[in-house]
Amino acid sequence: MKRGHIIAIIIIAIGIFALFNAFGDMSRYSTFEDSEKTPDELVKVVGVLSKDKPVVYNPEEDPNLFSFHMKDAENNERRVVMNAAKPQDFNKSEKIVLTGKMVGENFVATDMLLKCPSKYKDEEIFVRSEL
Amino acid sequence: MDGIEYIGEHLWVGQLGHFFIITNFMAATLAVISYFFAEKRSELREAQTWKKMGRYAFLFHGISVFVIIGLIFYLMINKYYEYAYAFNHVSDDLSMSYILSAFWEGQEGSFLLWMFWHVILGMVLLSPKNRKWENGVMMFLCVVQAILASFLLGIYIGDTKIGLNPFLLLRDTMPEAPLFAQADYVSKLSGSGLNPLLQNYWMTIHPPTLFLGFASVTIPFCYAAAALWKKKYTEWLKPVLPWALFSGTLLGTGILMGGAWAYEALSFGGYWAWDPVENMSLVPWLLLLAGIHMNLVSNATGQSIKSTFLFYLFSFVLIFYSTFLTRSGVLGDTSVHAFTELGLEWHLILGLFLFIGIALYLFFKNNSKIPVPEKEESLYSKEFWMFIGSLVFLISVLLISMTTSIPVYNKILDGFGWMTGGDYTSWHRAAPADAVAHHNKFQMWVALFIGLFSGMAQFMRYRETHFDKWRKKFSIHMAIAVSLALVLTILSAQMIQMYAWQYYVLAFGCWFAVVSNLDYLITTIKGNIKLAGSAFSHLGFGLMIIGSIVSGLNQHHISTNTFVQKGIIEGFTDEDYAKNILLIKNKPMLMKGYEVTYVKDTIEGFNRTFTVNYKKRDMKNDGKIVEEFDLYPNVIYEKTFQKVAASNPSTKHYLSKDVFTHVASLPRAETDPEYAKQQEDSLGYVDHVVMVGDTFSTQNYEGKIIELDMNPTHLDYVPMEGDFPLGVQIELKDKEKDKIYKICPVAVIRGAKILRFPEYLPESALKVKLTTDIFDEAFTREDELEYQKFVVEKGGTFRHKNTTITFSGFGTQPSHPSYRAKEGDKAFNAILDFEYEGKKYTGKPIYFIREGVPYNIKDEVKELGFHFKIGDINAKDQNITILVAKAASKQEKITLRIAEEVPSSQYIVLEAIVFPGINLFWIGSVLMLLGILIAMFRRIMG
Repeated sequence: MKRGHIIAIIIIAIGIFALFNAFGDMSRYSTFEDSEKTPDELVKVVGVLSKDKPVVYNPEEDPNLFSFHMKDAENNERRVVMNAAKPQDFNKSEKIVLTGKMVGENFVATDMLLKCPSKYKDEEIFVRSEL
Repeated sequence: MDGIEYIGEHLWVGQLGHFFIITNFMAATLAVISYFFAEKRSELREAQTWKKMGRYAFLFHGISVFVIIGLIFYLMINKYYEYAYAFNHVSDDLSMSYILSAFWEGQEGSFLLWMFWHVILGMVLLSPKNRKWENGVMMFLCVVQAILASFLLGIYIGDTKIGLNPFLLLRDTMPEAPLFAQADYVSKLSGSGLNPLLQNYWMTIHPPTLFLGFASVTIPFCYAAAALWKKKYTEWLKPVLPWALFSGTLLGTGILMGGAWAYEALSFGGYWAWDPVENMSLVPWLLLLAGIHMNLVSNATGQSIKSTFLFYLFSFVLIFYSTFLTRSGVLGDTSVHAFTELGLEWHLILGLFLFIGIALYLFFKNNSKIPVPEKEESLYSKEFWMFIGSLVFLISVLLISMTTSIPVYNKILDGFGWMTGGDYTSWHRAAPADAVAHHNKFQMWVALFIGLFSGMAQFMRYRETHFDKWRKKFSIHMAIAVSLALVLTILSAQMIQMYAWQYYVLAFGCWFAVVSNLDYLITTIKGNIKLAGSAFSHLGFGLMIIGSIVSGLNQHHISTNTFVQKGIIEGFTDEDYAKNILLIKNKPMLMKGYEVTYVKDTIEGFNRTFTVNYKKRDMKNDGKIVEEFDLYPNVIYEKTFQKVAASNPSTKHYLSKDVFTHVASLPRAETDPEYAKQQEDSLGYVDHVVMVGDTFSTQNYEGKIIELDMNPTHLDYVPMEGDFPLGVQIELKDKEKDKIYKICPVAVIRGAKILRFPEYLPESALKVKLTTDIFDEAFTREDELEYQKFVVEKGGTFRHKNTTITFSGFGTQPSHPSYRAKEGDKAFNAILDFEYEGKKYTGKPIYFIREGVPYNIKDEVKELGFHFKIGDINAKDQNITILVAKAASKQEKITLRIAEEVPSSQYIVLEAIVFPGINLFWIGSVLMLLGILIAMFRRIMG
């Protein structure tokens, strides 16, 4: 065996080790109920905004507190709190992907991804205003 | 809607367009076939004929691409909204300067942009200098083009739709919409336009650069594939290198521009977020860089030819994989900027497998024949460490791609479940909860090794056999570099927070790269710019990573005021609270050393710009202002003005840091008119009817009306030509504290509208607005007046009713609240003196000529109700006509509408971040790309 090959193999071994390690970082798609059972794990929950519940953001009181209710895939609803400003396009979103964990009664989200309705699927027709 | 004859459609454009879409695909396919036979036919004349045919086919394909693009622009510029592409991407109010952005906003347009660059690069490949490789390279280029062209076909085979036709009619995309029951629907359409988030110049320059980068990666792929096909395993290595270097520069620039866009114009708060879409443009570039290094090695030593083949082939495959990920909708749950599903998934998967197939087939068919030198590279040779460095690149690529591909594994599991009838949803995995931490954790080691190897390998030689002779010199250079890098690392740690030992190691590795490459630049190549490509790019790389350590680790929110913020939710740390701050208009707020004030906001079009003033005071020196600047973050509203579509930051650049500011949120009343109205209606307004000089009393204040102001200033009021403003100067005295406020609510007549600018006192939440009848009260309407005419000479007198009025003469520099002098005006006033009930008064009506047109402005003696106007001037007889009217004298009554305890709606929620050392990052990355560019020119010049 050549010396160079040994070093190359070592590097590749480190790489494979790193790869396995990286897989350990993957998170899970979960539900609110499931997340209650794993209070220490950050999970992702996909759901829709509960439009009948208030979306609360009162910057006069606290510009870093934003809360709303979301229904997950199993139709369970929880209050979601985030320590962030309310995203400007929040009300447009049709699907929400949260990263976070359940803390007591609330789902504390550290990150949120909004999927907005695609322009292509938008049924609304823009008609000239003089109509 | 069969049977309807639509009026006003321009169907010929679509018909012509579709014709060229078909020829576009056919010509590319024909070019593939022609070049194939041009290579395979041994008979020279026949081969020549095929080659000629290939060229013409490619030419015709290129023309088709240009015509399609031209026709789409024609649709968009003429706003033919009956076409879905025009409807979706332009609108009546879209400025023509965004027409390019609108074109490549859609999937179809960006495919065309990509093909456009392939055509341009293909033209360069056809130039006489490059013709040696024409058959093979052009054939593979045309394979790529044919595949791309198939994405635009939009034809049906059975029930399966192949591709997206950019000339689709709107009524075909949603035939059930009731609008299309009307024959003249075209005249009623108005486009939905370009996403406001994309209406900036970055959208004009970033996509073409990135797509040129994408397109250029195809060329090394074509060379590699052609070399394998023609079994010329070494001859391609020289001509491909400048192309690969070109690609490295352009793709790198495209990626970097994306980062700059995110940082400068989007509110992401950073230049790199390890978002899947960003990652997938980075990995082909990394693999291409690995390929370039192996290419250099194989040119110099004949080693590593196989690696060169593989890296070039697969960097293009990764480009296509990235296309698949971003355009198929797979990334839906993980990325902020992926396209949504458009039904192209299977088409993209087929394309991907085709290219993987081509790459693997060609490589393994020739694997055993690709030359591999017998002799092993020495441990002390340059090529050995370049090879190891390329492996590090490869590991980096694998790690990033593996994590980014998580959504793909889920799809594969679903497919497996569908085949076996099982449900594997519980096996689904999601991207790491903290993607940035995840990628940084691994990639920092990649950066460290690249830094170390690049510094070391500079002082090694290819095919080293006598390292012993060099050992001493090498050791000296290394010792210098190591010690200087150590010193610099320690110095850096003094200036910034390093937090963990790993960062010390990384900083050392990067400083080592900087120092040794600088050393190489000075001592070895003695500043010869032509040879400085690699030194520049590795030096730049080191600086870039140091810049990202400094700015990434030490970026901090200054928009925090821990006294004001309070903890409500358990689970949030103090650190979490420190992101956003509430700024009430004109109420200075202290945040981390800055005194910040939201001064005003102005609306222009859909754009609302906020002026945020920053002050730094020297507290030891009576709070003297030592530094002051304004930042102008803005938000863009949607057309309806009901929602904010985009929030753009504003950044103060220093040499050593940036202060980044953006509006994180606005009061609900500002984005929701219905709510605003509700809120306004619920305020307990009390009307106070007063006259000038009167006093009045509210819950908390004693008020006094000082005067009416015909030329008022108000923070939100921007005067316009033709405005007729009126303000009421009010003095408010706090009943409890001994403090006096001066306010001036304003109402303005602008055209047919009356605009009102209320005053708001944040201290006690008091809001004062004027009612619209103030104008009726303040001014007597012209048609209620009966004017009498008098003709008088200078010095003469006349009697109006019981008043004797003297025309004392002309004033040449007239002033009047309603008169704004303009250059070129010829203006004067008449001075009319009179006595009324023992008091002296003067009326001064104005007459002026502006651009040849005479105007007059009346003057009013308010207390008495006298109105004066100049009617006519007779220069010959030295007299003038004066019009006088007297209304019943009256004191104007002003209605002040005052509400107290108003919830503030005049605030912004601000996020402000300091990025120290960010310029190191930019300088480093530009230097790195410049290095690759220099290397390219050196190869082209020979």
